[in-house]
Amino acid sequence: MLLEVRNLKVYFYTKRGIVKAVDDVNLYLDKGEIIGLAGESGSGKSTIGYAIMRLVPFPGKIEGGEILFKGENILKLDEETFRKNYRWKKIAMVFQGSMSGFTPVFKIRDQIIEVLRIHGWTGDYDKRVEELFKMVNMDPQLAEKYPHELSGGQKQRAFIAMALALNPEILIADEPTTALDVMVQEHILNLLKKLREELNLSIIFITHDLALLSEISDRDYMLYAGKVMESGPSEVIFKKPRHPYTSLLVESIATLNKDIIKGIPGSMPDLSNPPVGCRFNTRCPFARDICFKEEPKMKAFSDGDEVACWLY
Amino acid sequence: MVMRLHVGSISDYIVKVENLKVYFTKSGIFSKKYIVKALDNVTLSIKEKEVMGVVGESGSGKTTLGRVTIGLQKPTAGNIYIRVDKREINVNKAKLKDISKYVQMIYQDPYSSIDPIMRVYDVLAMPLKYKKEIDIDRKIEEAMRLVDLPLELLENRVYQLSGGQRQRLSIARAIVVNPKYIVADEPTTMLDASLKGEILKIIKDARESKGFSFMFITHELPIAKIISDRIAVLYLGKVVELGSSNEIIKNPLHPYTQGLIEVYPRIDPSLRDKMKEIKIKVDIVRPERGCVFYPRCPFAMPKCKEQEPELKEISPGHYVACWLY
Repeated sequence: MLLEVRNLKVYFYTKRGIVKAVDDVNLYLDKGEIIGLAGESGSGKSTIGYAIMRLVPFPGKIEGGEILFKGENILKLDEETFRKNYRWKKIAMVFQGSMSGFTPVFKIRDQIIEVLRIHGWTGDYDKRVEELFKMVNMDPQLAEKYPHELSGGQKQRAFIAMALALNPEILIADEPTTALDVMVQEHILNLLKKLREELNLSIIFITHDLALLSEISDRDYMLYAGKVMESGPSEVIFKKPRHPYTSLLVESIATLNKDIIKGIPGSMPDLSNPPVGCRFNTRCPFARDICFKEEPKMKAFSDGDEVACWLY
Repeated sequence: MVMRLHVGSISDYIVKVENLKVYFTKSGIFSKKYIVKALDNVTLSIKEKEVMGVVGESGSGKTTLGRVTIGLQKPTAGNIYIRVDKREINVNKAKLKDISKYVQMIYQDPYSSIDPIMRVYDVLAMPLKYKKEIDIDRKIEEAMRLVDLPLELLENRVYQLSGGQRQRLSIARAIVVNPKYIVADEPTTMLDASLKGEILKIIKDARESKGFSFMFITHELPIAKIISDRIAVLYLGKVVELGSSNEIIKNPLHPYTQGLIEVYPRIDPSLRDKMKEIKIKVDIVRPERGCVFYPRCPFAMPKCKEQEPELKEISPGHYVACWLY
């Protein structure tokens, strides 16, 4: 096991109260694996990514749990050690909207070199930039351009190149294809698959786009209101989901062979005052008495699926 | 330029655009002036009670097309007509305030398109008061019911609503004045998958019960297929294919449409270890002449570089602009 997250809690201390954005989440990632974190907006999927990078923004705080990288709890390390040895070196992240993450006043090449320099890379900078650009299927000449001279898809690939600069073992990709056209999305997907193959990279793919996710991930975690509702191999999640939330979400994906899509009525509960019992109880068509009283525990099935639901 | 008024222009239209051109002149302090053809020679019409889906990548001109048809953007050339009570109104020449009774728009972002500190009631009352309508309360109630919003919300402020509720309100604001024609510019794009279905249902129901015509702009082909009667595929300012939704999805003729349909994600985890074959080149190149699509087209022929194909009717109601046919 390369990465393991145990009982992670991330709370945001807002004026309205404590928002439990991530509440008791467990997950793991093996070497060379692609896992998906999926859910609606506000489900806590991005926050988990930020917590693994130890970059939870103010007023959020990691309130509990462990994040183990090869067995070592990285939450216990002091900031300087983590920055020097882990962030970007072992675990890198492609942020949501990272296409606008480049500063407009420097060439892409210089921005990537800055990353190399700050992290003490020894070697030929220019050669490394060229290598990285080839890795993400881009003409190395484009490194000489300024960000505004590149298209959205090119910028996204350049950012992935920057994330790979120090040979990380884990890449966290937070909505890497949102706002891109479908052709470009598929290219980025192909690129991530290639990188996994060539570098034995492990990827955490965070997205709300389930159709896209189904084409890339080995296993998935379905998040709702800060909790994992179901996790399992993609075959189960997308073909035979057990949790009502997962099946409703899969049914609501628009694909070309559907004539109608259903939705999930209602909206996510206020996480500063989450409902008692199962957090999905306000929208679940199968909710019973017990769902409003007690929180369901994760139950494992023989096909590798795990579900937190009173139906099972 | 050849006049091709017959394409898609039917007698029972509500909105009709003919040979529409919208050019933007771009220039920087250091760069030379150049012209971007956002729309070039677009001709199409929308029938009564019809939902016309307009699909295309970013930069294809789909939002510009929507804005032009309701008079928010003046075209460089071409005409736009709206038919109301057997009268034909030339949108170009009419004043915005005279046509806003008949045309409305639903915007993509429900957070920035409605003033957050307004009361829900006022959001809906304002367009009615502005048009000196009577029976305001009844009309507001009807609109709230059509979009499935509880009447108790009328006294709430907009910032208290969730994203899905705001998008419903934005639809209610468009239909409250009982227009003829509504442009819906990516109304589902910013919403979670779980909410898209409901928004589509509301638009379908409103069309059924009130008889509105819609232009539904989206970059998501599956959404366009679900909601629209006909689909127009836009590429770099040109309509490259036009036909009934089923025809476009089942029997796409243009290489661009075919490519789009081929790469569209399906829910299929068995694909995950394979690379997807993408026949069309990714980067958009705007050619100086010839077919707009030839730099990316897998079937490009010498002719495509020189001459621009016209929209041609291949089977009844199914048009394509491609030299393969």
